[in-house]
Formats: sequence, C-alpha cells, structure tokens
Amino acid sequence: MSWYVLDEEKFHHCCQLLLQQSEQLRDGWIWEVVQGSKEGYLKKTALRLVTLDSKAAQKQERSGSDSEPHTSCHSSVKPHGQEGEQPDCIRDEVDDEDAGICTVTESSSQVLQFEYHILYSCSYGSPVLYFRAFTLEGRSLSLEEVWSSVHPNFRLRLQNSPLNTITQQEHPLLGQPFFVLHPCKTEEFMRPVLQAAQDQHRPVNYVLSWLSVVGPVVGLDVPLKYSTVVHPAASLSSTEPD
Amino acid sequence: MSDSAESPTETQKEEPQPPADDSAANDEKKKIDVLLKAVGDTPIMKTKKWAVDRGRTVQSLAQFISRFLKLDGNEQLFIYVNQSFAPSPDQEVGVLFDCFGSDGKLVLHYCKSQAWG
Repeated sequence: MSWYVLDEEKFHHCCQLLLQQSEQLRDGWIWEVVQGSKEGYLKKTALRLVTLDSKAAQKQERSGSDSEPHTSCHSSVKPHGQEGEQPDCIRDEVDDEDAGICTVTESSSQVLQFEYHILYSCSYGSPVLYFRAFTLEGRSLSLEEVWSSVHPNFRLRLQNSPLNTITQQEHPLLGQPFFVLHPCKTEEFMRPVLQAAQDQHRPVNYVLSWLSVVGPVVGLDVPLKYSTVVHPAASLSSTEPD
Repeated sequence: MSDSAESPTETQKEEPQPPADDSAANDEKKKIDVLLKAVGDTPIMKTKKWAVDRGRTVQSLAQFISRFLKLDGNEQLFIYVNQSFAPSPDQEVGVLFDCFGSDGKLVLHYCKSQAWG
C-alpha cells in the first residue's frame, strides 16, 4: 500500500476517525453531505479574534488593501517600528498565546467567523482546505484581508508568493467562492510523516497530520489532545478510539 | 509564554542568541532538552541537542532553526512531533515536552519544504 497517496476511500476513513476524536474533544467538526451525492466534506466553524495587519497586505503590492471601503479593518499604514523582515514582529496582537507583542500598527482587532471545509482533491490525491471568513455583521473578508490574517509564522513565505498560497476559488461542491490553501505541495510535506510511519509500522491519520500542518496557517489549530488522548495505534485499525 | 519567557535575552526582536548549547545550565524547571532531527534532504544541524526554555514557542524554535540553516524566504520549515503531526506555531515547547517527551528529552523532527504552491 502506498502511503503517500491518499485515495478517496482512505480520505473518508481518516475523516471518520477525526470526527470521532473531534466529538470526544468537542472540537466541532461535522461531516456534511452534498445533497444528491455521495460526496461529503468535513466542516467546522470557529470564531477568531483577529488583527488584520495591512502591512502584510501592502507587501503584496496589490492596490486592494486601501481600496476596501469597510472601516472595520482600518489597519494603519504606519510601518512597524522594530520590524525588519522578521515575521516574529508581525503578530496578531490578540492571540492569547502571544503575550509579548511588538507590533506598533493601529490595526483593529475584531471577531471574525471562520468556516473551514476539508475536501478531497482527486487531482492532488490529498485533502484540501477551503475556508471563508465573515465579520459578525456578515461581510465577507477580501483576499487581502485573509492574507493579512495569516499566522506570522507563515507570513514570510506568504509574502514571497501570495498567489501560490491562498487564493479564491469556487468550492467544488457548493459552487460558492471560498479561499483555498494550495494543495500542490501537500505530498512534499506529508512525505516525511508518512515515510516515518511506514518505517515504524505505525499508523497515522493522514488527514489529521495534514491538518496539523496547514491549519495553523489560517488560524485553525488542531488541539494537542488529538495526538495524546487517543492512542495512535487505534486510529486506523479500529473504528472506535476508546 | 511565547518569547517573553524568563530569559532576559529573549526579546521581540530578532534573537541572535540561540538556546543554550548542550547540557550546561539546564535548569530543570525552566528548560527542557530538545533533540532536533533532520528529515529528508534538510540540512542537519551541527548541534542537535538544545536546552530550550519551556515557554519558547514552536514558531520561535522554527525561526531559530531556519536562521541557523540559512533558509531563504521561499522555504518553510516544518516541525513534527512523534513524526506524526505538526504542533501549532504558538504551542510552547514545555507543553510538548510534558506530553510527548521521553527519556528526558523532546525529539522534534524538522523538514524544509516549499510547502505550498
């Protein structure tokens, strides 16, 4: 069995396991089925307190960042005082985990609703993360705003080639515009995980491991308990985690 | 938490000082032993064992490794625990050690990749 390629059946299986764990941990994932089809996807909504940092958006050299008429994200154009090119100074200043922040922009922070979907991509043989974000008033975020909400750890890479990282696409099953995290290198960062698992004859939940890598980019954290509460050996060889 | 842990050398700016090398001043309460293992064709760090402040985040550690290995902006460094998942960048290494450490150390695998696109 080739571990590197995720076929749709395995994808479904991994999703079901993830769902079981999610229920235990009350992490909020559900399985949505598309009407009139056998296809489905994992879905989760979450509220996030986000500071939109327009400096990151401006680095893309797109004119979009200032053309947004909405005032709720009036990120200032003030440069960061201490920021070199280091992403560690560009932080969402409201993340609870990040105590020491050095950002000096007057970005406003607001609560946003994020909706995450995990779909299977036949072309890439991998899961793909689609998401969309709204303000609490129901306004969708623009692509620039989404870029500026990316976790600082990934900000540098994003700035180097934003269009290769997060773009807008039509949701394959719903036909609505979503943001998507590009999947074409998924195999590359999954390979070491899968190789190690195979070498050690240890099962690994592809979708869970993949999610732990890509999720944080867009504010979706995978709690550690997914890897501690349930014994990994149970993940793929049985149907119930307990 | 994050970078403003107890160590006075850790500031919000670029941190030229890496975590203390090898054993030496390893205060059990505040530092944990981390063993860094390269994956694939990622360059291997000359020093693999580090004493890291518990409060240091994964992101901070990843940045340190990236600078050490002189990765360019197109490359993303990934860190894995148990070779099976990537801890969140905001996760503190102390917590990871508590959950996944064994034999008095936390083994972290790191890998550089183009990641996306």
